Amino acid sequence: MDSILFLILRRLRRPLILIIVTFATAIIGLTLMPGLDDQGNPWKMSIFNAFYVITYTATTIGYGETPYAFSNAQRLWVTFSIYLTVIPWFYALGKIIALLQDKGLRQALSTVRFTNKVRCLQEPFYILCSYGQSSCLLVRALDEKGMRAVVIEPQQERLNELELIDTKNAIPYLCADAILPENLERAGIQHPLCKGVIALTDDDNVNLAVAIAVKLMNPDLLVIARAERDDIAANMASFGTDHIINPYILFGDQLAMRVHALGTYLLHEWLTGVPGDTLPPPKNPPKGRWVVCGYGRFGKSVVENLAREQITTTIIEAMPEITGCDACIIGSGTEAKTLLEADITNAVGIVAGTDNDINNLSIVMTAFELNPNLFVVIRKNRRHNGRLFKQFNADITMQPTEIIAHECLAHMITPLLAQFLSLARNQTNLWANKLISQLVSTMGEEVPETWAVTINNEHSPAVIELMNAGLKISLSHLMQHPANRENKLALMPILLLRNNTPNLLPDPNTQLKAGDRVLFCGTVNAKSILPLIINNAKVLTYIIDGLEVPDSLIWRWFQNKFNKRFKNKN
Amino acid sequence: MNLEKVVFGFFIVLAMTLNFGFFIGDIDNASHHHVYELYAAIVVSLIATVLKFGDRTHVGAILLSTSLAADLQLITAAILWTALNGNYDEPSLTVYIVSLSGGALMANIISVILLISETISQKR
Repeated sequence: MDSILFLILRRLRRPLILIIVTFATAIIGLTLMPGLDDQGNPWKMSIFNAFYVITYTATTIGYGETPYAFSNAQRLWVTFSIYLTVIPWFYALGKIIALLQDKGLRQALSTVRFTNKVRCLQEPFYILCSYGQSSCLLVRALDEKGMRAVVIEPQQERLNELELIDTKNAIPYLCADAILPENLERAGIQHPLCKGVIALTDDDNVNLAVAIAVKLMNPDLLVIARAERDDIAANMASFGTDHIINPYILFGDQLAMRVHALGTYLLHEWLTGVPGDTLPPPKNPPKGRWVVCGYGRFGKSVVENLAREQITTTIIEAMPEITGCDACIIGSGTEAKTLLEADITNAVGIVAGTDNDINNLSIVMTAFELNPNLFVVIRKNRRHNGRLFKQFNADITMQPTEIIAHECLAHMITPLLAQFLSLARNQTNLWANKLISQLVSTMGEEVPETWAVTINNEHSPAVIELMNAGLKISLSHLMQHPANRENKLALMPILLLRNNTPNLLPDPNTQLKAGDRVLFCGTVNAKSILPLIINNAKVLTYIIDGLEVPDSLIWRWFQNKFNKRFKNKN
Repeated sequence: MNLEKVVFGFFIVLAMTLNFGFFIGDIDNASHHHVYELYAAIVVSLIATVLKFGDRTHVGAILLSTSLAADLQLITAAILWTALNGNYDEPSLTVYIVSLSGGALMANIISVILLISETISQKR
């Protein structure tokens, strides 16, 4: 801030001196001019009066001639003064306005404002190192969940978009490159409440630089980085980047999950969605022979995962030498000839997975004409093409950015959720379907909140207090409504972690122990009520015994007496 | 020789000498203290202040602060002169004004001492 003040002062030096000199000359001249007062006596203006007159004259306000009508000599001098002072006055004003519009100064000011905003954050927050398509979704989801975010993005146009969206909390942003460690520092990586850094830029090298910088400056932070190249991913893993996201592998994985276990896929989408959204009913991809257009990183991952599900594929690729494809049909897939060559009429599904949206659309439209029963999976690269894709209405539209956002959320909401999801992957589709119907019946079809609760003195003092008093507290107690214990809260424990052993869908009658960590899934309302139970011993006692514990000393004394007498009588 | 330094030194020294010229004389005798001299002292002091803007060194910061102290006292003296004229007898009003300018003189002297010490510490 200091440097900005000095910058302003230095730039204003010349106009200020000009004003002082011209005003001084005009004032001194006015006091020397002979005049007459209202009685006709010779009179000269005092310095103060001259200052007054020149001040309103130079600023073009003009009150007229005070305190007495001017003599000709005075008028002559005032005329001269007007030309002498008004011009420097406007020159100075112009300088000040130009300075306020100066790009460098505005950048410096916005940096200072950003740094202050970050320093004043009172809640845990995440730093996003870009504001691209996936970060945009991420910001919205975090905001819906009431988590704070800070954004660094080098392109002003993208930040303008950020400024336009409606958010519950203000999101501080800085127009700067995250590759510079000083910008990360401004964004608060050394802030005690910073929880993690998410590097999702398009450039692997930037993500790598960010990950290294964070791990050097604050090794405890969670780092989620995007890496498309394997060597970069290995590099990131070598110094302990917490989660490395490869959008291509992730997409293939998700497609396989969809083909293999739709329920599991749905559960995954549902738990990592933006709260309040509802998910469209998904379609079940058929098994049989598929045609895959494009054998880049994306196509490879698709083919690999489909092969694992015992689905045979026919590959169409324009440049097989570069992509290293042994048995494929050469062509782009946009013309009917290549598609027929791939025997499209007898295939059950087609994956249009090139990195060009228009080609993808062209492929599926041609294929659809040849075989209207095809199951169509299409890759959408750019968000602004969304309208075209909506019009086509493919069975599955896969957008890498959305997948990335969901994956990040799974790690950011709570580490327990990521653990739950990886465990859920190993369960059967039937299990997942059963769980979904159970969740939907408890909390409705909207995307629920998921959050973790730790049973210890710091996070749930009431539970510990009553446990120490010898009461047995089970999970089901945490599911009752504090207003009326007959009613249930709209939440469900979905994972219990005890001594690092996870227990998927714990039995509600499980007894809690100190050190347990529980992952809950439920409505926003239930999430806000739960802390009341675990923090307030009185509420918890009511839930367990149905008793209202007296708070004051006198009432407690009364109750003790009463209880004793009652026991004696018996 | 650097013209910028000449101008800079000139205004700082002139601010002090004008201030001294106004201050010297019987403290309660109005005829020893001319209003135009105070006016000139204020104007020159303001110019000296603006010239000191934007110097980020430590000495620069102290120079600016002495100038601001001098401005404050001189302008206060001028305001008193205008506002209290006629409400007080001449000798006591003169005492107020001259003693304020004396305070400003101290600030100006410090400013000049700093200027001299910086000049001497220059290697060339």
